Amino acid sequence: MGLRALLGRLAAGAEVPVFPVVGGGARSQIQDLRLRSELMLVDSPRHAAVMIVAGSFPPGEVEGLLQVHDQLARPRRTIRWGAEPVPGLDDALVVSGDENRVVAAAVDAFVDLMTGSGPGEPPLLPDVDPVEWRGVGPYGQGGMGMTGGTPYGRPMAERGPARDGLELDQVPITIGPWLPSLPPGLRLHVVLQGDVIQALEVGPAPLRLLDRVDPFRQALVEPVPIAELELARARHHLRWIAEVLRIVDLAGLSRRALVLSHRARPEAGAEVRRLEAAIARSGLFVMALRGVGRISDLPVGWVARAAGSAVDARSEDPGYRSLGFRPVTTEGADAAARVRQRLAETVQSLELAASAGEARAGGHGVMEDPRGRLEVGSPPPAATLLEALPDVLVGQEWGDAVSIVHSLDIDVEAALREVPA
Amino acid sequence: MGGLGGALVVLLAAAVAALVARWLSTVLEPTTLTVPERVPFAGGVPPEVHAWNRYHIRYYVMALLFLAFDMEMVFMYPWAVVFVKEGIVALVEMLMFILILVVGMVYTWRERGFTWA
Repeated sequence: MGLRALLGRLAAGAEVPVFPVVGGGARSQIQDLRLRSELMLVDSPRHAAVMIVAGSFPPGEVEGLLQVHDQLARPRRTIRWGAEPVPGLDDALVVSGDENRVVAAAVDAFVDLMTGSGPGEPPLLPDVDPVEWRGVGPYGQGGMGMTGGTPYGRPMAERGPARDGLELDQVPITIGPWLPSLPPGLRLHVVLQGDVIQALEVGPAPLRLLDRVDPFRQALVEPVPIAELELARARHHLRWIAEVLRIVDLAGLSRRALVLSHRARPEAGAEVRRLEAAIARSGLFVMALRGVGRISDLPVGWVARAAGSAVDARSEDPGYRSLGFRPVTTEGADAAARVRQRLAETVQSLELAASAGEARAGGHGVMEDPRGRLEVGSPPPAATLLEALPDVLVGQEWGDAVSIVHSLDIDVEAALREVPA
Repeated sequence: MGGLGGALVVLLAAAVAALVARWLSTVLEPTTLTVPERVPFAGGVPPEVHAWNRYHIRYYVMALLFLAFDMEMVFMYPWAVVFVKEGIVALVEMLMFILILVVGMVYTWRERGFTWA
């Protein structure tokens, strides 16, 4: 056996490095792949051999997908999870069906790639420089002097005032929409000075909406069992907590929260409390999130409750009032308080689900969804949170900004879904 | 072989190892990346400007303080050699020296030099 074949066979036994691209309606599907031991979801296409493209995309976003495809390390393979093909990704292996089929396809593709029995995909975008730079300038680097022209194909950053009165370079950069450390579809046009955000704008979302049934929206028009609403809320919160834990690199705890979200039953309150204790022991609240992203003036559901204000649309609902519902609140208003608040609300939701019996709530055009007050004719709370991002993030360092974005449970897709009048 | 000879051998071995690794990689997988393949990854949109930019290293105060205390350690070595001979006088002198440095550190703390950004 040749050296190449031997190395290939050894490599094929490893976890499959997968880069996920998440389109409309596929967020939880991709999150659940993190529980699979066969795959390793990586944060950059450079580290991946297989790209899984899941969900729906508007036609204008194909260019970005092809760019990510070309950034995968060679040899590479693309899997399209879902029946609908993506124009441009014609060589992609189309897999429809459940998670097991996608995992099996990814493992097969990876083994083929590593053992050399299947060809990798060629680059999809043309091999041309965005601007002509080769051979220009005294050393052929694309410009004159240190900063003139377009050295190596890109212009240099412009200077602008820094916060302490100096004039330093400002780097405009678009981050997202498929950066795994940001929520899927979130595209941020930022101006960075060092790692401090000087200006920020949220770009259009590259997701296409799918019609989805959601008990909270259903409760706007008709009464829905409280147990169903509260279990859905607990599941949402646990999924969110899993995502926050992943971002701060607590992978084990993140998996535990995700497993718990699948097992969210009325009697799981004690498990959530144990998870909270484990999170507290990890130092997350004290070391990573304390004092980060203090927000006390945003009147959105749990963000306001984490700042001590007891606003909750459930207080107005006769169904919830009959169960003696009272909103829980936390003091602190920072990212740590928001995580604590949601853990407390998860326990409260499970307790409500246990005591609700057949009780129903809703049907009055108002319901508290996992983020905040969902009301007929008003923008959804997810949209209010997304709108607040520029004000909250300008002046923050990038690392804190990522924590803040996740602590606010930004979901571009939920923000786009209008509440019917 | 003296110390210099040994260092030269290490340098040579490191250079050969690096060259062999590069050669092996080109033999095993000869590839030339296309322009879109070389673009840095920031989430799907290629960056507009060059990554080479000037920014404020705000933690430079910490770096300067580190140097001050590093030099203090350098002074402590000769001091340790003569400490037994000089006795309590040496101890008092060194404490004064450290005290002056600590005053500087307290001043930096008051001026918020230890905040990262």
